[in-house]
Amino acid sequence: MLENTSKLNRRSFLKKVCNLFSIIGLFTAMVLYLFYVFPKHVRKKKVVYIYVCEEDELPVQGVKQYVIDYPQYGKSVTKKIFIVNTGKELFALSAVCTHLGCLVSWYRPANRFRCPCHGGQYDIMGNVVAGPPPAPMKRLSLKIEHQKVNIGLKM
Amino acid sequence: MGYFFHWLDRIFGIKKPHRRFLHRPIPEGVNYFFCLGGIAFTLFIMLLASGLMLAIYYVPSESEAFASIVRINNEVRFGWFIRSFHKWSANLFIVAILLHTIRVFVYKAYRHPRELNWVAGSLTLILAFASGFTGYLLPWDQKAYWATEVGTSMARTVPLLGPYLCYFLRGGEDITGVTLIRFYAIHVLYIPLFMCLLLWAHFHLVKQQGVKGGL
Repeated sequence: MLENTSKLNRRSFLKKVCNLFSIIGLFTAMVLYLFYVFPKHVRKKKVVYIYVCEEDELPVQGVKQYVIDYPQYGKSVTKKIFIVNTGKELFALSAVCTHLGCLVSWYRPANRFRCPCHGGQYDIMGNVVAGPPPAPMKRLSLKIEHQKVNIGLKM
Repeated sequence: MGYFFHWLDRIFGIKKPHRRFLHRPIPEGVNYFFCLGGIAFTLFIMLLASGLMLAIYYVPSESEAFASIVRINNEVRFGWFIRSFHKWSANLFIVAILLHTIRVFVYKAYRHPRELNWVAGSLTLILAFASGFTGYLLPWDQKAYWATEVGTSMARTVPLLGPYLCYFLRGGEDITGVTLIRFYAIHVLYIPLFMCLLLWAHFHLVKQQGVKGGL
């Protein structure tokens, strides 16, 4: 009687139950996997100020290169930066080329930053003059406190 | 879900070749002991899944291995669960294979024409043991170290070739970081690969020859 009225016989009922349990199992496994793989400690990067030099060591006019060391993840990291004084403005530039991340150097005769890898060139303000770089050099925030010069790095 | 699978199947045609396997007639005299092979295979899939997850956090190096295990157990979310899951699945995997072997033996399912399938199954059993042995070293604690010391020393007792076999297993005279990386590679790359090939052959032969019925 029952079998004639409804399509749900023993076989298809068991099949449905099996499917339900498989889907629940797979879903649980997927959620578990995401929880497992997602890193536990994620903190937002914040700007940390690092000592560069004394205030009276800053360039009076032009570009000066500094190599700073600071600890990151328990290791010492070396970073090359430039501090530029145009006479009107004082700012810090990261030496990392915006093309593929080589370190640029200041070429005084042409008044330009030049990248040794693919010939990218920037002017004293860090703007692209020639070559493949897609963006101007990155400016770093500069802070002078108690005659000490610090630059801000996102860490 | 069903709609998606039908669409996939219409293009991929995965259902048809499996129909003969999944909807095949089962002989008389089959009982629940015939599930042991399937249980072993389920455990194998569970081992693969949990192993893939462990491989994300495990570091196979002399100085980092134990620390990474501690990290998995204490820091990673559900890490303790995944590691225990892998461990217990591995133990039960061996148990299930052994019971399955006994079942096949008792029901005389190893006889002609199924002799090749017995060989494939035996190789799978050996690989499962090898996987257990290599996996035991990976926590890189005292128990793991000395178990491997004993295990690889056993290879020494083989006549003539013994010492060479031992050096081959250890990658040197003693158990060092070299042994650890060696065992890690065998545990996560070589064995799963050959195991998959063997299991494919095993199931293909079951499909080809059908299940041997009751006594």
